[in-house]
Amino acid sequence: MLASKMMSTDIITLTIHDTLDDALKLLYDVKVRVLPIVDDEKKLAGVISPRLLLRRVLPGYISKGYLKDVAFAPDLSQFMENIEKLNECKIGDFLEKPCCLITPETSAMEVAAIFVNADPPLESIIVVDDEKRILGLISPVDIFKRLWEFNNKQTTP
Amino acid sequence: MEQNAIIAIIIFVVVYAFLIWDKIDRAVISMLGAGLLIYLGVTTQKNALHGVDFNTLGLLIGMMAIVSICQQTGMFQYLAIKSAKLAKGEPWRILLYLSIVTAVLSALLDNVTTVLLIAPITLLITDELKVTPYPFLFAQIMASNIGGAATLIGDPPNIMIGSAMGFSFVDFIVNVGVIMPVVFVATFFILKLIYKKKLKVSAENRERIMQFRELEALKDMPLLKKSLFVLGLVIMGFMLHDYTHVEPATTALFGAALLILIAGQELHQTMSKVEWTTIFFFTGLFIVVHGLVEVGIISSMATGMLELTNNSPENAMFVTLWVSAVASALVDNIPFVATMIPLIQEMTPALGGEVATMPVWWALSIGACLGGNGSIIGASANVIVAGFAARSGHPIGFLRFMLLAFPLMLMSIVIATVYMYFRYI
Repeated sequence: MLASKMMSTDIITLTIHDTLDDALKLLYDVKVRVLPIVDDEKKLAGVISPRLLLRRVLPGYISKGYLKDVAFAPDLSQFMENIEKLNECKIGDFLEKPCCLITPETSAMEVAAIFVNADPPLESIIVVDDEKRILGLISPVDIFKRLWEFNNKQTTP
Repeated sequence: MEQNAIIAIIIFVVVYAFLIWDKIDRAVISMLGAGLLIYLGVTTQKNALHGVDFNTLGLLIGMMAIVSICQQTGMFQYLAIKSAKLAKGEPWRILLYLSIVTAVLSALLDNVTTVLLIAPITLLITDELKVTPYPFLFAQIMASNIGGAATLIGDPPNIMIGSAMGFSFVDFIVNVGVIMPVVFVATFFILKLIYKKKLKVSAENRERIMQFRELEALKDMPLLKKSLFVLGLVIMGFMLHDYTHVEPATTALFGAALLILIAGQELHQTMSKVEWTTIFFFTGLFIVVHGLVEVGIISSMATGMLELTNNSPENAMFVTLWVSAVASALVDNIPFVATMIPLIQEMTPALGGEVATMPVWWALSIGACLGGNGSIIGASANVIVAGFAARSGHPIGFLRFMLLAFPLMLMSIVIATVYMYFRYI
């Protein structure tokens, strides 16, 4: 089974001209974990994910791992202030390079291997064509879902 | 001059130039230099290994392993937060207390690890106080180098000098450590004049600091007890060196193994925390310098130095102190000390033997450690703090730092000069 058969194609994307507010609403309402952002030529410009946003609102010395345990500080003023500041930001400031892009020809096992070994953990993998246009998204559940359907079809002719 | 000598000098100079240029990892440069020396036939692998001081390497590896385990207990966070609360949130006092914690930890562990752990919490505290972190980080750099200078294990130059000459933990405290409290007080007196009035904090922000719960930082009490127990044993082992004659590397590595055993640590994980790049940097550097020794360059340099100082250990002491201080401010003090060690060893007979030369070694230690305070690139601890400052959006400018740090460093060397005059002449 190839990535092109497993990926979900009804994906929601935003363009680089949308606001961060739009992105947050989508992340909240639709409960997607990764939001691909495309440029004017419909090519992938980057992604936005809630985890990356959290990383941005934490002070650098915490998000970069120099101070992992902050149990001693009940709350930090900087954290709340940074969250408030989010509203003023443009979507372009928060684009992160997607850690992993695959082609539609990638096999199910390779996709599974990427998920298992990804560090930091991946929520979904984006499938793109040669021109970096988005074709679909694959999450770990998708792999099982499609493989399951595939097996069932084969055993019940 | 024979061909081997020319090759050794060229390799040494090129390695040094790349270290100053600081664009390629220093471990890679020193290993390439060491490899070339052997490939070009200046020395053999067997001889090159004679130049490597395994006592220095063992001590570094052992302490790095112990500290990496201590780190998991949260004791550093605890000490930093506790001192901020003891200061009642008052900024100048927080600065002073954090610097004292930094100096003491730098002396007992090592100054690089200390700033790596204290600087992030300092940034968190200054964020909460809504004051600029610059004076705090500046003070911490000073404190880490002054504290590190006080003991055998505090700063890499001391580890190298102690290992090469067999000086003990107590020797360093008695000869170098005693003057460091004076240097600390003098430095912080000046910093107080400059910064105390500028640091103003609202009562509300002070209250935020007082709400920190430092006990929450102590994550693993059993591990903390075991770590402190082993740390105590190791420091005691260093102190008893004069009686037991066990080298510090043995003590540190034994302590590391003991702590890994009783704390049930995963060996792989502990060993992966050791900074191997530093270990390989030292190894390569020792070989490059040993190349100079083998071809006789160091001994001709020693002859020159002896003429310059009139064969007098007193002159050699003062020259070493001031040259080390200025040189260590401008370049990394580790390669400088690595070169000076064989040089002083070569000069020892002409200066009147090992006992007469002792003050020269203390001058090298004080000069190289305190000289590190002279610029932002002077010591590894400085570079680490500067990195944190830049990432938090408050970069430490090279000139701005030097404008205050270099005069403060010169003042500390003047204090050391007076001390050495009365102590050794």
